[in-house]
Amino acid sequence: MRELLGFFSAPMLWPQLTLASGLLCCLAAGMAREVSASVARLLGAVSLVVALWMLMFTARGEAGPLVGLDGLGLAWQILFYAGGLPVLLSLDEDDEVPAALLLASCLGAGLLAASSSLLMLFIGLELMSLPAYLLVARLPAPGAPPHEAAVKYFFAGALASCLFLLGMALHYVASGSLALSPAPGAMGLAALALMGAAALFKIGVVPFHFWLPDVYESSAPALAGFFSTSVKTAALLLLMRLAALGPAPAGACLPWLGAGTSLYGALLALRQTRLQRLLAYSSVSHAGILVLGVGAWAAQGCDPASAAPLFFYGLVYVFMSNGAFLFVRLSGLSRRPEIAGYGSLRPVHAGLFGVLLLSLAGIPPTGGFLAKLLIFWETVKVGLYGPLAVAALATLVGLGYYLGLIRDMFFDEPKWRPAEPEKGAVEVLLWVCAVLAASLGILPWIFSSALGRLLS
Amino acid sequence: MLTALWLVPAVGGAACLFSSRKTSRLLSAVFAAAVFAYSLWLSVPYTADAGVWGVVESGPAWIFGIRYHLALDGLALSLVWLTSFLTVVSLAASWRGSFSAGFWASFLFLEAALMGVFLARDLFVFYVFWEATLIPMFFIIGLWGSEGRRHAAMKFFLFTFFGSLFMLVGLLALVTHEHAVSGVWTWDMGALAGTNPQGLAGTLMFAAFVIGFGVKIPLFPMHTWLPDAHTEAPAAGSIMLAGVMLKMGVYGFIRVLLPVFPRLSWELLPWVGGLACVNILYGSLCAMQQKDLKRLIAYSSVAHLGFCLLGVLSWTPEGVAGGSLQMLNHGITTGALFMMIGFLYERTHRRGLADYGELVGRAPWLTFFFGWAIMASIGLPGMNGFIGEFMSLAGMARALPFMAVVAALGIVLSAAYSLPAYQTVFWGASPAGSASSKVTDLDAREKVLVWLLCGLMLYIGLCPTPFLDVLAPSVAALVPYGFTP
Repeated sequence: MRELLGFFSAPMLWPQLTLASGLLCCLAAGMAREVSASVARLLGAVSLVVALWMLMFTARGEAGPLVGLDGLGLAWQILFYAGGLPVLLSLDEDDEVPAALLLASCLGAGLLAASSSLLMLFIGLELMSLPAYLLVARLPAPGAPPHEAAVKYFFAGALASCLFLLGMALHYVASGSLALSPAPGAMGLAALALMGAAALFKIGVVPFHFWLPDVYESSAPALAGFFSTSVKTAALLLLMRLAALGPAPAGACLPWLGAGTSLYGALLALRQTRLQRLLAYSSVSHAGILVLGVGAWAAQGCDPASAAPLFFYGLVYVFMSNGAFLFVRLSGLSRRPEIAGYGSLRPVHAGLFGVLLLSLAGIPPTGGFLAKLLIFWETVKVGLYGPLAVAALATLVGLGYYLGLIRDMFFDEPKWRPAEPEKGAVEVLLWVCAVLAASLGILPWIFSSALGRLLS
Repeated sequence: MLTALWLVPAVGGAACLFSSRKTSRLLSAVFAAAVFAYSLWLSVPYTADAGVWGVVESGPAWIFGIRYHLALDGLALSLVWLTSFLTVVSLAASWRGSFSAGFWASFLFLEAALMGVFLARDLFVFYVFWEATLIPMFFIIGLWGSEGRRHAAMKFFLFTFFGSLFMLVGLLALVTHEHAVSGVWTWDMGALAGTNPQGLAGTLMFAAFVIGFGVKIPLFPMHTWLPDAHTEAPAAGSIMLAGVMLKMGVYGFIRVLLPVFPRLSWELLPWVGGLACVNILYGSLCAMQQKDLKRLIAYSSVAHLGFCLLGVLSWTPEGVAGGSLQMLNHGITTGALFMMIGFLYERTHRRGLADYGELVGRAPWLTFFFGWAIMASIGLPGMNGFIGEFMSLAGMARALPFMAVVAALGIVLSAAYSLPAYQTVFWGASPAGSASSKVTDLDAREKVLVWLLCGLMLYIGLCPTPFLDVLAPSVAALVPYGFTP
């Protein structure tokens, strides 16, 4: 009982508790007849913002056997909540349930970040994933088959969960506890491999990526943005936690896996004819760079303070990816050839998308460049030149479609007249994402000291 | 205030972007002229206080040892002049064209990025500006180029980015290597000069830098983007591309590669210098085969840049000074040639050698000036090209005489591809269906522009001392980094 009380009174969980109350308020407001769904969504958004604000003074430490917050968990919560915010603000259906589901998913990610035990990690992971499956069914892309992607996502997620549970069981057998501490012996290693596979599944690392493009393509664009940022960085955090558990050689496969994934994703993105699927593969490619970064981080001894490059990449990616998917939503384009000549029809939107694409491609002086540079630098520091070369090649290949999109947008004549885009929240969000994605490349000194404090 | 050199055009570019077609043209001219005036005025503080790395402007330390750090020395100053001058020239050359606001803005953005490249003394800042030059040029080629522009713009970007990735990895390796040796994170060019990494790691880093800078020069066999980009770009774009952007590569050799890797540069001189010789010979032979005027000049650039690089690689005072002066010369000469071909193209929309003949009767002034620029390009004594090529070869003759002999063949070849083309277009019989009848002579604006450039060619050719004096302190400061066995 005392442990339960300790759990709920832990000050490190205040952001999560805020989200939980926001979730309840949102549902309650939705049930009240006279309150419109937009108010419910607003309540949810406010709770996300308050949770973000609370992170500024959330204490770090342990509370009970399950909860523990360190700098890494604290910093990563920023990514989760910031990644969820644009999606929440851009929802426009007359329905509060998607907003509530989204908040629940963010809450799950938040719990995952504040866990000091495998059990809590698993609970967080599930709480994050289950609403995500429902969201895919609830908010499909225009014209996508309604439940196919949701079911696919569910089965892939269930498989990952099974792997994780099995790994947990083995870990318990090997070490006698579910705490986040190394488990001895071959069984401990097997446990780590299984749990690691689950994390790679969630991130979408090749060869565990097959579900990802279908799900991203069939979800509403904004939702795909959420999956590619919050959900993906949460899985990344899981991977980092596991990498910190294992003996040093256990992480040795990560750089190659990451580099291979980034190249594979880039090569496949080249061939895509649907915009959202292209962005999905681009997200696979970016996840590969992040996993490469985790490998370099693990090779340096898993020090939370040196995870700053990973955090920075995640932060920039939150804006780049959300922004790109928001553009898809705003423009209403679905097939890649339709983008031809978009620059002459809507120069401002095309310009913003162009900035986001340059950032995704990693061209200076955008944020995407600095993020990529920092990850590459970490790999150089530990001498991982082979994976680095592959990742650099992936960057070059990636230029083929990012720059290709810019070329088609600006150099071609429009052949197709897109629908008049809606004004309002989505457009503002696109502006915010593009400006941040570009300016993070030259402004990180604002963050660098804060980042040091955050992660230390 | 060195920051103003890149910030003013950048602000000007943004202002152009958000104004109307007519206003933006005027704005771009005002900003470009202001920057040019300022760059001339900068020679005053420069000569007053020229340290080893020039007039320094340093910002607060950024992250991970990166520092916003600009400096101006003679070498940078000469290229800053060239950039601001050619920007004015290219804007004036396209004054009559019906271009949108983006066109005028792109040139100012390009100028801003180029200024940053030449002024940066921090490798990170250098790299950021280096890459930033790609974006405006990509749009200049892709939006306002001729038929093959779509493909050429993409090829240009991909090739350069390919090289830049090597350079980036080389930079990271170099900075990390320096940290392992001295325990300090620094991206400062001054601090990294003389680092002298060796062994396999050093060689790989060296190769990465050679590829990174070589793509831009462009060094054989990474040159294939150049003919396409130059040919498809609008005239003003070609002027900037050939006039300034190719110099970035040679500048990288002088500023980064040779000071950081003196020993390897010496040991691998036969290889890199060999490639430069291939540039000269192969570029000349290719130029002979061209049927398109712009392509011909583009290949001649490949050859001329080979001379610049050879002079620099010799790492002797006369070689480095000659190579640097030749960069300036080539910018002026090739800029003038591309500009005049642009004037022709504006009138007829044809570029083929076979499309013209007997232009001397219709456009005597054009014929006269084109001949003048061709003479400068060949390296006729008395013209600027002669001084630069002579000094480069003299430098190389001290380092590796054999290579200087091979390269000297290139001078003969340059006459062999330039003169026949000039003769066909301007003096030869007009072929059937030729576009010559549409050609009118240069008007007043064009004449002023051409006079300016041709006057400079002669001036540098007869009286190179003022320019060499500007270069001398930086050359004197850089050459001691060299390795002598």
